[in-house]
Amino acid sequence: MEYIYSVLILIGIYTIMAASFNLIIGYGGLISIAHPIFFALAAYASALLNLRLGVPIPLAILIGALFSAGMSVMLSLPSLRVSGDYLLIASIGFQLGFIEVIKNIEFAGAASGLTGIGSLYSGPTRSLAFTVTVLVAAAAVVWLVHWLTHGEYGRAIQAMRDDEECFASLGRNAMAIKITIFAVGSGLAGLAGALYAHYFQFLSPEQFGIVQSALILTMVVVGGMGTTLGPIVGALLLTALPQAITFLNMPPSVMAPVQGMLYTGLVLVFLFVRPAGLVGKKAGQ
Amino acid sequence: MSAAAIRVVDVRKHFGGIVVAENINLEISAGEILGLIGPNGAGKTTLFNLISGIHAPDGGEIFFRDQALSRLSVYRRARLGIARTWQNIRLFPTLSVLDNLLMGPRHYPGEALFAALFQPGARRAAAHAAQARAEAVLARIGLEGARDKTPGELPFGQQKLVGLARTLMNDGEVLLLDEPMAGVEGQVYETIKQVVRDEAAAGRAVCVVEHNVSFIRDLCTRAVFMFNGRIEQSGTVEELLASDKLAELYFGGKK
Repeated sequence: MEYIYSVLILIGIYTIMAASFNLIIGYGGLISIAHPIFFALAAYASALLNLRLGVPIPLAILIGALFSAGMSVMLSLPSLRVSGDYLLIASIGFQLGFIEVIKNIEFAGAASGLTGIGSLYSGPTRSLAFTVTVLVAAAAVVWLVHWLTHGEYGRAIQAMRDDEECFASLGRNAMAIKITIFAVGSGLAGLAGALYAHYFQFLSPEQFGIVQSALILTMVVVGGMGTTLGPIVGALLLTALPQAITFLNMPPSVMAPVQGMLYTGLVLVFLFVRPAGLVGKKAGQ
Repeated sequence: MSAAAIRVVDVRKHFGGIVVAENINLEISAGEILGLIGPNGAGKTTLFNLISGIHAPDGGEIFFRDQALSRLSVYRRARLGIARTWQNIRLFPTLSVLDNLLMGPRHYPGEALFAALFQPGARRAAAHAAQARAEAVLARIGLEGARDKTPGELPFGQQKLVGLARTLMNDGEVLLLDEPMAGVEGQVYETIKQVVRDEAAAGRAVCVVEHNVSFIRDLCTRAVFMFNGRIEQSGTVEELLASDKLAELYFGGKK
């Protein structure tokens, strides 16, 4: 039972990650790979606030998410001023740089990781309570992204992506919309990270590398970029699949490459065969 | 004549070695329709791009009323009330006609997320007002029936009308119209003519880039003739059309 809870929690957390990344890349058209680092920044911020300063965990989670949103502006503001392409390059540096920073901060556990993080819930129903919390949060995030990308704000995002220059000539501030989308998406990734920290109670800088970026991108592509339900499908599939493989009892040395090949293969197959993803409409529809 | 809404002073712009604007001095006043004529490549659209902020001038300054524009970005100039159309229309292809128009108002709280969260009532009221205005504009150009269509479903002339209508939603003091009549005939031609006339009568400063000489003659009080990025001549439309220089450079000698 404990195992099922932990898989459900992972699915919930990855749904938040995929839905928020979909907001950034699928709807906003902002190409960044740094999504896991905003997960990490909030996870560490929340864990340390609670661990070192005794901030209550729910408040620490909130501050952590806001911290990630704020840090995202540090990345998006200077790079988007130059061009959209620059964001991609800057995001790689941002992610790899911060991983190195975390590895060298002693009070954050440095390279060996941060242990003893406080748990959001305790007692015998801890896992159940946590599962419910994460799934409710995931549903709320999916709804929030849907609300943002449909209706009036969504119309503006759509127009901006159709023709940014014309959009600006109508008195619309494209830069503000991009930075807002990036900050909201990153803040939500932070929420996922903080929830993760207070359930698994252990963080290691190695968890937030490029492989993690690839995994989340795969979820968005496979599920359907620019769709509301795609990230859920992607998160479900790509969390369940690697778990299923573990039942094959392969040695770890074979296991890791098989998972990596699975992600890469899926992205390639989907980009060629069904670029709109499982949920998205087929081309021409 | 009242004070100039737009004043272009000594503006200069080069792309590499190509002069697209040289020593441009120009005023557009409230209530007038200024014609901008000249052959392709004369720098007419570039001048619009300089006024609306798409390009930054290499020298000189452009004023809206008494406010210098050079430090303002494209969207800020539009918010001051400088609206423009495009030669190739540039409607948002994935939005409906109505939604295209709703991107037009220069002060629209639709994208203000804080307002959405904390003043939902005020935002809803603004959205209703904008929609009512968009529907009134559509009725004015006779396109009520097209409100839920996408631009691609409309014939070319109607797309042009929608482009013009979206600009009208800005409701500002300046209208820059880039070849509103190109490829347009019949009823649409008459509608556009009427709209341009009405907008000037309502006190807006209108500037029209147009190759259609009869349109210029019918509507414009004053005209400017551009050639190779320079203003060759300006004056009343009659003066200009009678000029030998214009005949030689624009009509190739056969006036």
